[in-house]
Amino acid sequence: MSAHASDKFVYHEPGLQHQFDDMKQQEESVSIGMWMFLVQEIMFFGGLFTAYLVFRSRYPLAFAEASNHLDAFWGGLNTLVLIVSSLTMALTVYYAQRGNRNMQVIMILLTMFFGTVFLGVKVIEYTDKYNSGLVPVTGWNKKIPETAGTEHAASKDPTFALPLIETRAEAASAADDHKKHPNPKGEFQWNYGTHVVDYGLSKEKETGKPYLTASERIGYFSNGVFDPDKYRDKIRMFYYIYFVMTGLHALHMIVGLGLMSWLLWTAWRGYYSAEYYAPVEMSGLYWHFVDIVWIFLFPLLYLLGRHFLAGH
Amino acid sequence: MAEHHEEHQHEHMNIPKYVGIFVILVAGTILTYVTAQWDLDGTLFAGANTLLALLIAFTKMTFVMLFFMHVYWSPKLIWLSAVASFFWLAIMFAYTMQDYLTRGSGVFTT
Amino acid sequence: MQDAGLTNEEIEEKPKLNYLTNGSTLKSWLLTKDHKRIALMYLVSVSAFFFVGGLYAATIRLELLTPATDLLESGTYNKAFTQHGILMIFFFLIPSIPAILGNFLLPIMIGAKDLALPRINLLSLYFYWIGGALTIFALLQGGVDTGWTFYTPYSTTFSNTFVMAVGLGIFINGFSSILTGLNFIVTIHTMRAPGMTWFRLPLFVWANYATSLVMILGTPVVAITVLLLAIERFARVGIFDPAIGGDPILFQHLFWFYSHPAVYIMILPGMGVISELISNFSRKKIFGYEFIAFSSIAIAVFGFLVWGHHMFVSGQSIYAGLVFSFLTMVVAVPSAIKMFNWTATLYKGSIDFSTPMLYAIGFLGLFLIGGLTGLFLGSIGLTVHLTDTYFVVAHFHYVMVGGQVIAYLGGIHYWWPKMTGRMYSEFWGKISAMLVFIGFNLTFFPQFILGYQGMPRRYASYPEELQVLNIFSTAGASVLGVGLLMPVVYLAHSLIYGKKAGDNPWLLPGLEWRTASPPPTENFEKMPVVTWEAYEFGEENGLDVEEARRRDLATVR
Repeated sequence: MSAHASDKFVYHEPGLQHQFDDMKQQEESVSIGMWMFLVQEIMFFGGLFTAYLVFRSRYPLAFAEASNHLDAFWGGLNTLVLIVSSLTMALTVYYAQRGNRNMQVIMILLTMFFGTVFLGVKVIEYTDKYNSGLVPVTGWNKKIPETAGTEHAASKDPTFALPLIETRAEAASAADDHKKHPNPKGEFQWNYGTHVVDYGLSKEKETGKPYLTASERIGYFSNGVFDPDKYRDKIRMFYYIYFVMTGLHALHMIVGLGLMSWLLWTAWRGYYSAEYYAPVEMSGLYWHFVDIVWIFLFPLLYLLGRHFLAGH
Repeated sequence: MAEHHEEHQHEHMNIPKYVGIFVILVAGTILTYVTAQWDLDGTLFAGANTLLALLIAFTKMTFVMLFFMHVYWSPKLIWLSAVASFFWLAIMFAYTMQDYLTRGSGVFTT
Repeated sequence: MQDAGLTNEEIEEKPKLNYLTNGSTLKSWLLTKDHKRIALMYLVSVSAFFFVGGLYAATIRLELLTPATDLLESGTYNKAFTQHGILMIFFFLIPSIPAILGNFLLPIMIGAKDLALPRINLLSLYFYWIGGALTIFALLQGGVDTGWTFYTPYSTTFSNTFVMAVGLGIFINGFSSILTGLNFIVTIHTMRAPGMTWFRLPLFVWANYATSLVMILGTPVVAITVLLLAIERFARVGIFDPAIGGDPILFQHLFWFYSHPAVYIMILPGMGVISELISNFSRKKIFGYEFIAFSSIAIAVFGFLVWGHHMFVSGQSIYAGLVFSFLTMVVAVPSAIKMFNWTATLYKGSIDFSTPMLYAIGFLGLFLIGGLTGLFLGSIGLTVHLTDTYFVVAHFHYVMVGGQVIAYLGGIHYWWPKMTGRMYSEFWGKISAMLVFIGFNLTFFPQFILGYQGMPRRYASYPEELQVLNIFSTAGASVLGVGLLMPVVYLAHSLIYGKKAGDNPWLLPGLEWRTASPPPTENFEKMPVVTWEAYEFGEENGLDVEEARRRDLATVR
């Protein structure tokens, strides 16, 4: 700390900014700053997790029902993809610490590759939701007219000019056409039955004890009779939360990819050395944070109530 | 100037260790996928599935934070900020839920 | 190494450069990384927002002069109080002390050349400007009428006003405050001068540290909440919509999770200013330094546990109400600790009634009233009668204006000579401090009675029997308005005609008084080494601090 007192026009190390005395102080500051940023990110996502918690505890069966239609295969694959990208990111920092430029660049490229794969899978999943009428916003689903010939509907729609990716789900539903439900206004639809709530009601009959929560008893029934429309609304709420959470996460991934591109450029230019690699380390923290969010999103969104599927 | 660079986590992690953590994370992912298929809610107690899934997620997160994010070798302040952020999340969850879980009790039960 | 020699010579040639004269182009201001310049730009923009918000306040008071809705229609009135609230809270109260005084003084007080992350600091100013511009844009388009709290489902489903634009403005502005908080925490942790230990920090720094914690932990939650509101409004579906099983009260939970701690973002830095003023103008070491320091942290932490007291009558569980009511009483304790310590500091002090001290003493009285009436509102039985009446309005204006604004004005006067190198007119300063105090009390004290008599807030009309007190209130508002406008005039006047303030016009020991006024770009000619405790007046108590300073510097050398 005695560096203050001496001449302030000492030789500046590369990357040392004027307000700091030495690299140690700068690295400490940048690292604390990054962690404070992550703290605020945790609270930012925390608001969404609170919303999830509240509604999951209110409508557990509708949430399980809705979640069962998410493709846990894609979700699980994406988890693995992100974990691999986290490994490559950790190795990027590892090589940066050793001043190994070439391995650094390779690892950044790998990280970016896996990040892109993640987003690609997300596009496949979102497209499936679009085709199945599971986007909670009216008009944002594939418009399927009342009559047959549904295949051309999307290409005629000027608001959606991109070619659609043929997913497993779409391929399967194209195979047996009767599964395509008309959806002329592109509304949110639920055509996958009420298995979970049926299970709950049968359990109630079996044991004589309440299985549904008090909110569910209000939320799914009209005048004591099960109301599929009200049930659908709760499922719609799950998809709303799903889209907001994964959408915000995907946005963070896109920002992360931007960060990686910048890192790639600077690493390629040989900007970093064993003495100065703080930007690599900080970008790494961000990337791992985004990974951690997904580690929680995967079980909470894709796997809840999976056992209802297996049980039947 | 030279002395503080030795303090860095150069020696703490090597590639086999990173790969080891990675294997743990993959195993955790597979485990959480498999256990989600079991009806723990029915056989053990309500919420057991979610509890297990969250436990696994927390374990995975701990590994990522400690080793990939180098928290294990970081100053106390970093530990503190990591713990504090989860503490504040817990405040938000707990105090919101204490409203929802006690709301209107006695009114809607049949 | 050759460069170093050259630079040295250049510095020798013009040794008197301070942060104001070091570069005069527009670029040198807009792209500056100097925390002092950023603080000045904040000062100008925050004052502009304060002025606009004040205009709305004046309109509201004029409308309430008469019982009928004559000046404004009900709809317009709704917009007026909404915009008054939004501008004052998000664009004045929250940024004012941290972003202006904190930004300017925090690095100097701890003996640093700048904040740790100057570019982030500049970015926060730009976020503030972008958020502010969006909000002003929305106001010009026609404004919002939801109240500053944006309660759903009115804001998501029914309001036909510019909720989206204002919401976006607040969202962006939120990041300005997050980045400021982040910067302060980093700076206080890493940038303290040698010898500046945690318990030698001025209490203003402690207060800002606590504020920063709240900013980082709370602000992101309101950001996501406003984002959810915007998505819901845009997509016409969402979790706050009771029609499909959503819960509007969840919005209130998430909103108040931030917005209650946000009142501590507003008042904590004010308390920090008051600690400085009380100790320095009594020329006495502050009583119970550690207690004041830790009570700031305690307020920041406990502040997160009480948000439900805004929702006693909005449908939350009665048990939750009980818990929140109890915790509300608890959070009053650290504030009371501060009050007692300030009073004890005054005891047997050598009190100097300069303008800043007048504000500080005003703060003690007004904040006391504001805080105590808060306890009325926090007790779950009484609040049923008082919720959404003028009692609430009076209460939070006593805390926010009587507390925060008064502290802010005190701070501005106190550090004005440091910021500008000029002394303002003490005579006019005192007059305006008195006018603000009198005008404020005349405006808001009648509102306690009005509220207790049952006058609801947010209505443009009221029963005729309540008119007398409303006339008092409006009359007080005009006095307050004059009191608040006067500093603009005499402070601006002092910039040119004010007599030069020395480096240490108040003869105080703090680090900010040991550098030039205005300070050079890197704050100190020679980086300081701290060898004294905070507020150490010692044997030179109030007399020749200059001499003490010279002696200190000599020993350091």
